[in-house]
Amino acid sequence: MSLLSDIQAILTGLAITFSHIFRKPVTVSYPEEKRPMPERFRGSIVLTRDPDGEERCVACYLCSGACPVDCISMAAAETPNGRRYAAWFRINFARCILCGLCAEACPTLAIQMSSEMFPCKRDVMNMLYEKEDLLIDGTGKDPNYNFYRHAGIGVVTPRGANPDEHPPVDVRTILP
Amino acid sequence: MPKLIIDDIEVEVPAGTSVLEAARSVGITIPHFCYHPALAIAAACRLCAVKMLDGPVKGIQMSCALPAQDGMVVSTTDPDALKMRKLVIEWLMINHPHDCPVCDEGGECLLQDFTIAGGHGIRRYQGKKRTHVNQYLGEGIYHEMNRCIQCYRCVRFYQEYAGGTDFGVTGCAGRVYFGRFDDGPLESPFSGNLVDICPTGVFTDKTGRFRARYWDYQYAPSICPHCSAGCNLSPQAYHREVIKIVARRNDEVNGWFICDRARFDKSDLNDPLRPRQALVDGSPVEWEAALNALATRLREFVQSHGADSLALVGSTRLSLEAGILLAELAARYKGVRLCYFIDPAEAQLSLSKVEWVPAGMAASQAELREADFIAILPCDLMEESPMIALAIRQAFVKGAKVYLVAPHLTALNLERLPFQVQVVPELADVPLGEAKRGIVVAGAGFADLKGLEAVPTGVKFVLLQPGPNSFGAALLAREYRAVPLREAIASGKVKGILALETDLPEELRQGLTFFAAADWRNNGAAEPASVFLPTSAWAETGGTWINYEGRAQRYRQAYKTGLPLRGLPARYYGSQEAEPPAHPPRVHRAVAPGGDTRSAWMLVAELIFKLTGEPAAEPYAGKWAPLKHIDPEGPGMRLPAELLAG
Repeated sequence: MSLLSDIQAILTGLAITFSHIFRKPVTVSYPEEKRPMPERFRGSIVLTRDPDGEERCVACYLCSGACPVDCISMAAAETPNGRRYAAWFRINFARCILCGLCAEACPTLAIQMSSEMFPCKRDVMNMLYEKEDLLIDGTGKDPNYNFYRHAGIGVVTPRGANPDEHPPVDVRTILP
Repeated sequence: MPKLIIDDIEVEVPAGTSVLEAARSVGITIPHFCYHPALAIAAACRLCAVKMLDGPVKGIQMSCALPAQDGMVVSTTDPDALKMRKLVIEWLMINHPHDCPVCDEGGECLLQDFTIAGGHGIRRYQGKKRTHVNQYLGEGIYHEMNRCIQCYRCVRFYQEYAGGTDFGVTGCAGRVYFGRFDDGPLESPFSGNLVDICPTGVFTDKTGRFRARYWDYQYAPSICPHCSAGCNLSPQAYHREVIKIVARRNDEVNGWFICDRARFDKSDLNDPLRPRQALVDGSPVEWEAALNALATRLREFVQSHGADSLALVGSTRLSLEAGILLAELAARYKGVRLCYFIDPAEAQLSLSKVEWVPAGMAASQAELREADFIAILPCDLMEESPMIALAIRQAFVKGAKVYLVAPHLTALNLERLPFQVQVVPELADVPLGEAKRGIVVAGAGFADLKGLEAVPTGVKFVLLQPGPNSFGAALLAREYRAVPLREAIASGKVKGILALETDLPEELRQGLTFFAAADWRNNGAAEPASVFLPTSAWAETGGTWINYEGRAQRYRQAYKTGLPLRGLPARYYGSQEAEPPAHPPRVHRAVAPGGDTRSAWMLVAELIFKLTGEPAAEPYAGKWAPLKHIDPEGPGMRLPAELLAG
């Protein structure tokens, strides 16, 4: 009776095949159609802002130092009130391998991996993203952190006014 | 010679050596903040703890303050010592701000290194941090007192080593403050060394503030171009701009330090008006085309006017290599005038200083620091060569007698000298006969060499020169029978000049039929020149300079020439807009903007090839052969006697 069991096996297989043919497809026609990614997905890189709406990036060069493919470059500058910021900040996404080491290295949580997929471009120069292209309006994955409120050198708060600081020492007094 | 055992390694060191130095001599680095080889011992940071297992002292000891003794058995990795160092780091970090990302010391910070090496990562202390108010310390140094770990290095350097009086320590206990009484620029011309010496970021270089990180710098061993002392330094460049200049250790010359002029004066290198474009009759051309034009015009000029109406002019800041090749070029044209100096008096003086000092009798800065009798002939040392004054101060602190020969006291600024002097009217009044290690110091302007004949034998000399390579230029001028330019022009025959890295006075360019120049400095030579070729500056090329004592020192290329990326003119952006965007151009280029330059020696070599069809000879051949292999990171090379003798 091996013939009958062979036919049964073939028909079972074909039934599965046909049931899949008429099922709704799992693929989407990316990039026209995009699937919502999980919140913690490590996709395209963005520069976030702190809760006060200022740029978080202080252009410390740690991300460019950590980057294994050397795709991040920047130049630091200083505002009149002593805040350090990136005069320009460039990521060459043609080189980026989305390894996430930059986001891990960032001490101010400025550079983060968003849940967006990075789109491909036909011209490699279009994959060079400048600061204007990278900077988003939100705080990204960490809504509360403001580096300068912990730094202790007084840029957004007067010196010695952070919650974990004593007011500045009066060096002229001899009282204990 | 005490013998001790450090981490199972037997070490024998000279008496008086600390255990820390003894360990270092066998390659064991004991972490430390307050210890510095050039400064007195403070034992303030408590980080260099080691455990003495056996010997005259036992238990945990500070290795920087403990002289090595016979029979010591030292462990740098004992669990007790490791725990002590870990706890010390933890309490040094209690008040340290959380600002490494916005600190210029980050990446080159001793505190960062040893915090990570010591294993302290999580802050356990829940109390508040002490804070301080910063001071304005001038345009060179940025002060951030919150970062201080009270190692006292700054005040030991500033007061003891450099003799400054306007900076010190105030306060007590946890409120110790390092600064001035009031805000204001630091007075000492050595204050910039606070940047190098601070183990953390209390003093950072304001001229390079917030610009780059240590790991991104392009740097190389180099030599200071500002005077003839030949101090060793290292320019640190980023995006084709010199951001910082730091001291480089050379125990024979400058020791650990450099003066503020060497450190902060980067204006020549970073000058936005530096000539970077080859010009023929004032219109920009490719470098190669300008060189071809120069060769053609030189040939035509020599044919029509004769070789003896052409002057090839080098200078006292030209590298020795280019100077030798310039002489080779001159040798191809019989009768051409070769000049390394402009002024006959200066040429004569430089050469007589080279010849006057017998071999071995020129004193290095290291010898100056060890002298016991020093006579300074009238000169403003602090203006001319501050590092020589700093070296004299070290001798003074050790008890040397310092005399200043000054017939007219009014012209001299004694207050600025970092040591006390006894003023005498004449050199004969200085009791140099009593000296064991006597040294006579004279400035570049000192011309009365005859007056030095009375100096007893055994006394050494520091005879400063005007330029970084005046000594080398004098040697070249003697070797190749060069004439000073003014003398050549006075003969009336000179009708054409090729000036190589030379600052020509304007009146010497008058009445010429042919003037070509090659330079990297913005000295006004580019506009009048019929052919102008931009060269690479000292930090952008390699070369050799010979300092006042006849020490040949090699410098290396730190970075490639080009217009600094910051402030790049709009025309390099490939757009028609007047205001360039903040980011660098999005244009591919094989050569950086303004990077089409050559070293002066390469220029001369290519010119020789163009004119004669034969490649230029190796500059370090024949008489100069001993100078071929000089280690740029070594102490340099005192010229052998046969090179000095001529």
